[in-house]
Amino acid sequence: MRTLAIVLGGVGAGGLAAVLAFASPSPQAQQSQAPADSITAPVISDTGSLKGPRQPIFFRHDIHAGQFKIQCQYCHYSVDVSPEPGIPTMQTCMGCHLVVAGSDSSSRTEIRKLRELWTEMKPVEWIRVHFLPRHAHFPHQRHIKALGPTACATCHGDVSRMPQVFKVNQVDNMGFCITCHVERGVSRDCSVCHY
Amino acid sequence: MSDDLQPPTVDRRRFLTVLGTAAGGGAMALSGCSTDRVQKLVPYLVQSEDQVPGVATWYASTCTECPAGCGVHVRTREGRAVKLEGNPDHPVNQGKLCSRGQAALQGLYNPGRIKAPMARAADGGFLEITWDDAIARLAGKLGEAGNRVAVISGAPRGTFSDLLAEWTSAMGGRLVRYESFDHEPVRAANRQVFGLDQLPAHDFGKARYIISFGADFLESWGSPIENQRGFARSHGFSGGDVAKFVYAAPRRDLTGLNADEWVSLKPGSEAALALAMANVLVADRGDDRVGLASALGSFTPAMAAEETGLEVETIERLAREFGAARPSLAVAGGVGSQHAAAAEVCAAVNVLNFVAGNIGETVRFGSALPAADGHTELAKLAQAMDGGELAVVLVHDANPAYTLPKSSGFAARFAKVGFKVSTSMYLDETAALCDLLLPQHHALERWDDVRPRAGVHGLMQPVMEPVFNTLPAGEILLRVSRKAAGALARFAAPTWDQHLKTRWQALAGELGERDAAAFWHAALQRGGVYRDPPPPQEVTLTLPEGRLSYTSPTFEGAGSFTFLTYPHPMLHDGRGANKPWLMENADPVTKITWHSWVEVSPATARTLDLRDGEIVELTSPYGTVEAPVYVYPGIRDDAVAIPLGFGHTAYGTFAQGRGVNALDLLGAPRGDFVPYLSTRVSVRKTGGYRKLASVAGVPRQLGRGIAEGISLAAAKKGLTVEQAYLEEGHGRHEINTALELEAIRGWSEEQQRATEHGDYTRELPQWGMAIDLAKCTGCSACVTACYAENNIPTVGESEVLRGREMTWLRIERYWEDPEEPGAPPSARFIPMLCQHCGNAPCEPVCPVYAAYHTADGLNGQVYNRCVGTRYCANNCPYKVRYFNWYKYNEQAWPEPLHLQLNPDVTVRARGVMEKCTFCIQRIRDTQHHARLEDRPIRDGEFTTACAQACPSDAIVFGNVKDGAGRVARLKQDPRGYHVLEDLNVRPAITYLAKVLLPAEA
Repeated sequence: MRTLAIVLGGVGAGGLAAVLAFASPSPQAQQSQAPADSITAPVISDTGSLKGPRQPIFFRHDIHAGQFKIQCQYCHYSVDVSPEPGIPTMQTCMGCHLVVAGSDSSSRTEIRKLRELWTEMKPVEWIRVHFLPRHAHFPHQRHIKALGPTACATCHGDVSRMPQVFKVNQVDNMGFCITCHVERGVSRDCSVCHY
Repeated sequence: MSDDLQPPTVDRRRFLTVLGTAAGGGAMALSGCSTDRVQKLVPYLVQSEDQVPGVATWYASTCTECPAGCGVHVRTREGRAVKLEGNPDHPVNQGKLCSRGQAALQGLYNPGRIKAPMARAADGGFLEITWDDAIARLAGKLGEAGNRVAVISGAPRGTFSDLLAEWTSAMGGRLVRYESFDHEPVRAANRQVFGLDQLPAHDFGKARYIISFGADFLESWGSPIENQRGFARSHGFSGGDVAKFVYAAPRRDLTGLNADEWVSLKPGSEAALALAMANVLVADRGDDRVGLASALGSFTPAMAAEETGLEVETIERLAREFGAARPSLAVAGGVGSQHAAAAEVCAAVNVLNFVAGNIGETVRFGSALPAADGHTELAKLAQAMDGGELAVVLVHDANPAYTLPKSSGFAARFAKVGFKVSTSMYLDETAALCDLLLPQHHALERWDDVRPRAGVHGLMQPVMEPVFNTLPAGEILLRVSRKAAGALARFAAPTWDQHLKTRWQALAGELGERDAAAFWHAALQRGGVYRDPPPPQEVTLTLPEGRLSYTSPTFEGAGSFTFLTYPHPMLHDGRGANKPWLMENADPVTKITWHSWVEVSPATARTLDLRDGEIVELTSPYGTVEAPVYVYPGIRDDAVAIPLGFGHTAYGTFAQGRGVNALDLLGAPRGDFVPYLSTRVSVRKTGGYRKLASVAGVPRQLGRGIAEGISLAAAKKGLTVEQAYLEEGHGRHEINTALELEAIRGWSEEQQRATEHGDYTRELPQWGMAIDLAKCTGCSACVTACYAENNIPTVGESEVLRGREMTWLRIERYWEDPEEPGAPPSARFIPMLCQHCGNAPCEPVCPVYAAYHTADGLNGQVYNRCVGTRYCANNCPYKVRYFNWYKYNEQAWPEPLHLQLNPDVTVRARGVMEKCTFCIQRIRDTQHHARLEDRPIRDGEFTTACAQACPSDAIVFGNVKDGAGRVARLKQDPRGYHVLEDLNVRPAITYLAKVLLPAEA
């Protein structure tokens, strides 16, 4: 009976989590209504309700990529030439934020954090959201070439609408990769990725 | 029990599904509630201009592991060096690199490196200090010492050596530069008979007949990669005649095993053979230039036969063969010319080359470079130390406490010096005796240059940030100069980098370059400046007093065996012993790893009742050592041998306490070299035993046709191996009989069907390889390259003893018994790696499809699928699959050695089977590039690590379907065959049979 209780408890917790997921307004639900060319990043009053891991600096992709329409590759500079997408250097952030100090108190607070780290010559230690196991090799550049302008969103979701990045797809699950490869009729050979 | 009381049916699978959905919905924060380890992404502060994450950046530099000065390309990823390859632009090595050069990487990340400047503490240990403090201490001591200063250093290399010399002489100090295997006897002989204090360049590629008097030119002597490239050209088969190679020495080393004929002469009698050969030629030709006939008159074949123990007919035959080939080449070197009469050997070989007309052809003078000072100077310095004449001694790039025999008493004399300083990167035997340690930068961390020969200026540049708190040695000298002032004040360059650049500006002027900045940038890009060698200098033979001398060898000690020692092909004089690649990459001759051994001949072993692994005690007048026996058919019955390089008492965990130091049996240097060949030893069986940590398999082929050979005559006729056998009268061996073919037909079809999954029907390349055994010398550079490229762990001595070494690519050495009984066996080398069989036996036995065939012809191994049944290894006829028995991945790379790992290759964990992948990471990377540019892969666009490294170009890799490609053409060669072809596994590797020359041509 004790085993059963634990199992039930587990199911309860899982169920609760699922309910919470539906209760909170989903950014994905909002984005389908707004026209693609005019995104206004919402004011976030409760960051605790956002999906995805909380980052050391509340960097908002929805402001940078959405509202200001900065190209993904402006910051993720090596994504079309390298297997690695390239995490923007602190210098890249400061290129703008030397001047841009923020329009409201919450963004000013976050930009101040960035500037302080820059003054101390310390990097931001971002929490990684998407990662693959070491025995899988994912060449970003090939996928950018093959999938064209919408390539990033295919796996990462519409980041331009995310105040805080979360995992939309189980990119670390081989099934996710294979589904796409089958649909597009590209290689499913193990050693294409595993070596 | 009624229905409503039943618990909900939740099985384990369902439970996990629910949890998975919940997490997938995203309600639970990934990092907050998940059990996944949190990974951090740490960006650069400032983007480095020449680094793109995930893309390798290459830097050109120069290798400093031996004086040959090969050019290297250093592959760096995310700011750390991960692999060294040869620089194709460099005239010395033309894109190739030996094991020792490649292992420089393990010197860079060696756990035994001194991490910061240190000073001797009161308790006898070392205490870390700051650089300012360290420089001040040395400057203070130099100020007090006046001219009672000496510097001991390795052979001169370039700008730094010049600075060191000027720096030392500014103080009025003494500078001694020496190398363990000095070419001083060669220089002495050249002074004697040609009046030139030079080392000539040898062209092995041009020679049509080569005789080596003990020179191990494929391993240590001279410029090994350059020699090997030349040797592959003249001795490899390309349709016509092949240069015969004769090796005259009491022991066959790796070079000797590549010879077509081994002339086993008495130790120390090489000069007699060379002079008698010259005598025969002079007599045949009636040549009496500069009184040669009379000078050589007494060196008759009969006299030489007496001295060398050879037949008169053999000597006459060798002489006439040598004289008939134009041009030929004779070389003397190795420890065969490091004894009391060494200069006579070299002079005799000079005369032989002169008589045969090789001077200016295969032996070219005219490139004088600064030489080392030799052991005579070192001995004088040691005496000065003994007399208390020296207050400060600085040791740089040298380890005299190890490389000099103990009988020279160096350590005790060194101890009498008031203040001893070392710039060594590692705590070696000499550094351990010092009072102040000023660790210098590794060659990959600093600016520097090397002048290996006239016309070649190799440049070195830092390829990464220093691993530890070290400084370039030049910087140390300049900082000390600033602090000490006085006589040293004239060294005013603000930094070492500045000093070097100033020198290169001057060099630009010397070479007639107007734009010094452009000159510098071009040099930086190409790894140096390469000018044509000066034209060969005319030389005339002069015989001192019209005579040539020969002294019969004498040996110290009453033992019944002449003691031979030689540089270990991997460890050299011992400097490689702290690098696990070099310790585990077996000696190509004996296949022993990690420890010393004593070579005795089979006849001696029978007489003394010795077997492999039995421990014997060798006693000379200078000492006693104990080591296990290795019964070696390539050594004379009246000699025993121990390799150098082992028996370190310091120098880090990989080196310390392994094996014995062969120098313990030798006397102190007399003259300008260590007398490596000077003692006799007695051999006593101790009764002890230790299993040899050998990676050798069965020593003979037993008719399996693994490393095939074909006679030169048959090869020239264009016969296949099978046709050659039939012509020799062997019966036809029926392979693939109808029944056998029928039995595997269904399987083949099934395999073919399996490859039609997914995208497999598209036209894809088929990767294949061709290996030319006529060129392979067994040098094992490919093995080290494979270790470096593929993150192969070194498993250590105890695991090697259990047969668990992980060499994806190994060199097999098989003995071939001669047809006439009593003659010594010859050796065949064959690189053995996964054959990527078309009908691979490993694939159908894998229960989890971890071993499978890819559409582009590879035998894939999917680590994440492998569950470690090891069925595949059991079913592999080539034994090229290796199993991770332990957590080698956690033990093989103690920090900071793990920084060498190639980020493109998975580091395999315990319980996983692994094997050669044909460097699939390189294939995929090239495919990515080609795809981005919408073009097919070009032949030769990339190659595997082994093929890239091979100094002989014996290994060629490519797409078999590309008809114009090199591999496709080589696969059509009549000499081509598959190993164990009758198993019908259809290997993707074609071997080209070794071309055999008759011993008496």
